[in-house]
Amino acid sequence: MSESSKSKSSLNLNPSPTLQCKDLHEYLKSRSAQFLETLYNYPTICLAVYRELPELARHFVIRLLFVEQPVPQAVVTSWVSQTYAKEQAKSCEALSELSVWQEAPIPGGMPGWMLAQSFKKNLKVALLGGGRPWSMSSSLEPDGKARDVAFLDAYALERWECVLHYMVGSAQTEGISADAVRILLHAGLMTRDAEDGSAVITRAGFQFLLLSTAKQVWLFLQHYLHTAEKRSLSAAECLAFLYQLSFSTLGKDYSTEGMSNNMLVFLQHLREFGLVYQRKRKAGRFYPTRLALNITCVKESGPSVAPLETSPHHQGYIVVETNYRVYAYTQSNLQVALLGLFTELVYRFPNLVVGVLTRESVRQALRGGITAEQIIHYLEQHSHSQMLKSETGGIKSTSMLPPTVVDQIRLWESERNRFTYTEGVVYNQFLSQADFVVLRDYARQQGVLTWQNERSRTMVVRRAGHDDVRKFWKRYSKSS
Amino acid sequence: MVNVMKGVLVECDPAMKQFLLHLDETLALGRKFILQDLDDTHLFISPDIVETLQARVDDLMDQLSIPVHDKGL
Repeated sequence: MSESSKSKSSLNLNPSPTLQCKDLHEYLKSRSAQFLETLYNYPTICLAVYRELPELARHFVIRLLFVEQPVPQAVVTSWVSQTYAKEQAKSCEALSELSVWQEAPIPGGMPGWMLAQSFKKNLKVALLGGGRPWSMSSSLEPDGKARDVAFLDAYALERWECVLHYMVGSAQTEGISADAVRILLHAGLMTRDAEDGSAVITRAGFQFLLLSTAKQVWLFLQHYLHTAEKRSLSAAECLAFLYQLSFSTLGKDYSTEGMSNNMLVFLQHLREFGLVYQRKRKAGRFYPTRLALNITCVKESGPSVAPLETSPHHQGYIVVETNYRVYAYTQSNLQVALLGLFTELVYRFPNLVVGVLTRESVRQALRGGITAEQIIHYLEQHSHSQMLKSETGGIKSTSMLPPTVVDQIRLWESERNRFTYTEGVVYNQFLSQADFVVLRDYARQQGVLTWQNERSRTMVVRRAGHDDVRKFWKRYSKSS
Repeated sequence: MVNVMKGVLVECDPAMKQFLLHLDETLALGRKFILQDLDDTHLFISPDIVETLQARVDDLMDQLSIPVHDKGL
């Protein structure tokens, strides 16, 4: 075998990093088994995990909850009709991934399932009571200066927008602590400028800004938990507290009594990001806000509390016209900055900003890692109510945006994707058809074949699979 | 005996492939870079040219695009 060209080991061929927003299930899956073990000591977490499980898995858990010995896997399988074998397999996988149950041998050699001890114990506590009270006690005398829901919403919004403001680098940079900055840096949403060391936003950061608020908060907190250990906070304890918050009632105050010092520190951080409201640091009581209640509804079909809108008016403010002009009725610097990510701003009035969607401005955003779908979604989500009334000129469209604009944004994106590059290795000049077929089939079986042509006896395998295929070829040519 | 070459597989539409062939023939990027012409939509090229090529294709796209709207300044 000869290698006719040498190349650099790593090449960034398709730079399209996408920001991953894991839900609770995916987040827990990525953590170690020991971490999960510690987590299942908290009834709140057990309940939250239980709620996130697939339906069948929930069913299995309840059936197994009071069984003290391993149950044969065959029995578990027999609970579900053959028609739904796929769903069943998925549910079993989810339970194993999250270490909710473990494999346990049954006398007689059959494999069995058994719920994890701590999970079993604490889910019982969560469902049936007993043990230490896990919901926050609220035996407080009425707050002399009680806060209503509207106030809490405004507070949460103001705090959270502070973080977002900081990210877009608008003038209002006060009100954000060094800790928050560190989390943003750690999360890769911002990075230190090489020259003056100031924090600047990254590609991932741009994508982050266009996410829904609930997702933003959850993503942010995930990174907070990653860095929690460094601040001598236990990630498990923090997560448990977060979920405890998510089971609380909006507009109600809770006592800080009985909370450990670590949790009081954590509470101050949550207060900074607007997840809880406290009038004074030592007030002895706090109000969870909508941001905290919503961490559990990262999935689109999230139940319970209505999400907190980023716009202070709870309604859209953007009008998009067929001539690519964008009118945004807003005073918020944050919203203007967000719009500026993908439009060319033309005028700014006290309550109105006018911009144009140009090829350059959209491409700028695409280069920053924002997808066309995200731009369209953002425009749709924040469309002015007037847009709903507008005529689409007889064209049926599911979006209220002008179809020309939506299509053009998509075209601008696909224009950038006319090529796909895959690093690979080409094999050609086979002496016999049989040799070619053997090697091709081997590569295909390994899942590394990207292109082949039988007539010219040429095949391309992925770079990663090259070593494997080459070894196979050496073995094969020696033996034949 | 089998010949092995490392490089980058490019998948694109036939029109873009012709553009690449043209770039290769006219030495527009300073040298030949196509290692093998596979079929209508696939080419095998040398890996160190990719960045230059991407910039070149971006240029082409810029030339092709006509502003569809005026800014109305």
